[in-house]
Amino acid sequence: MKRTTKWLCLLLFALGLTGCSSPEAAETTLESTDLFAMDTYMNLKVYSVNGHTPITEASERITALENTFSVTNPDSDVSRINTNGSAEVSDDTKTVIEAGLSTGIESGGALDITIYPLLRAWGFTTDTQQVPDAKTINALLENVDASRVNVEGNTVSLPDGMMLDLGALAKGYTSDEVIRIFKENGAESGIISLGGNVQALGRKPDGSLWSVGVVNPFSPAENLCVLRIENQAVITSGNYERYFVADDGEMYWHILDKSDGYPADNGLVSVTVVGDSGLRCDALSTALFVEGEEQAPEHWRRCDDFEMICVTADGRILLSEGLEDSFENTSGLPVEVMHRE
Amino acid sequence: MNKKLLALLIAVGVVFGISLVAMLLGMRNSEKRMVVITQDNQVIHKIDLNSAENQTIRVDGTDGSYNLITIRDGEIFMSEANCPDQTCVKMGALRAENLPIVCLPHKVVIRFAEEGDA
Repeated sequence: MKRTTKWLCLLLFALGLTGCSSPEAAETTLESTDLFAMDTYMNLKVYSVNGHTPITEASERITALENTFSVTNPDSDVSRINTNGSAEVSDDTKTVIEAGLSTGIESGGALDITIYPLLRAWGFTTDTQQVPDAKTINALLENVDASRVNVEGNTVSLPDGMMLDLGALAKGYTSDEVIRIFKENGAESGIISLGGNVQALGRKPDGSLWSVGVVNPFSPAENLCVLRIENQAVITSGNYERYFVADDGEMYWHILDKSDGYPADNGLVSVTVVGDSGLRCDALSTALFVEGEEQAPEHWRRCDDFEMICVTADGRILLSEGLEDSFENTSGLPVEVMHRE
Repeated sequence: MNKKLLALLIAVGVVFGISLVAMLLGMRNSEKRMVVITQDNQVIHKIDLNSAENQTIRVDGTDGSYNLITIRDGEIFMSEANCPDQTCVKMGALRAENLPIVCLPHKVVIRFAEEGDA
């Protein structure tokens, strides 16, 4: 009889195991929203604590930051600098400009926030893409030089003929801000995607890691790999994001290299950066993309605050060693692990 | 070990096995097959790709803009749109949860359904 009871208990236990529901903290609810801002599609998800409205607050913050950083809104900080040559800006703008300038120096000019006039000549800002003639490119390159941007207090000044834009950093900073708002509202779990740039707060409510897909640049409707992360940003710059095919049959994309004024074509088609700060990851993903297959791994070796996944134009995945355990290949492309030593 | 116990053991095994299979089947059927079409962040269609018939859905904007969305053999894709960049059409069929098909100029999105979609 005793033994039968024991088996019965086991049976009940086995039945219990097959249940799918996982216990969740009772006081949190999943809040989710989609929005269009900063010329992209965003999705925010957060497990919010009752009585708090982090989604509403975050959405308002996104709209405010869009109005601050936009190159097309004439009242934005960035437009006022570009139009007047000098302007008093918000702390947000100052922070982002300084991050752009320092990553620019760190990458030997691969990222340059003053490349905007050239981007405009290529038509990427207005959906009127075209290959500018060599004369135009060379003339515009004269005024691409972030070292001549002057920041004093909250006043930003540019020399005549120079313009800047924060397109390479704005979404990363916004992402940090959304996560900060989630935290301030007491949330411990959430995940956001700003046009494919993902940032996670904590882990999933059940304690497991978040799965974040990274786009396959050769087939942008599919994932290259899945990363398992917590509390980190996963930000990608890829040639598939914005491009056009010109009459010559060539593909031209939106990440330009100031060494020749053409789309950066240094052996990489996408770079994904994983780290704690969205702003830092966003700036780095553009810089590393331009640095290319030779320089990007060297840049990574000099730093200890990020990991990365590069995809080469000939279809190899270069994976930095810190991601080996969180990386799952879903594309079948060959992987080469990069080591620091 | 007596016969009763053996029978009980087998019973446990069978019940466990059946529930495991049922669970996996259930997961396969419910997982990632419900899709929604949104316009301006409003869900305008909710479709089960497992049972949806082949069809084309037209989504009109207020300014003469339109998107044609095709469901064929359990797949969904943007078949036509009068947007300038055609990014949505080039994207092909919806494959992954994290990669919605987005027509940015028309604010039309095709994505897998989530908890809380109306």
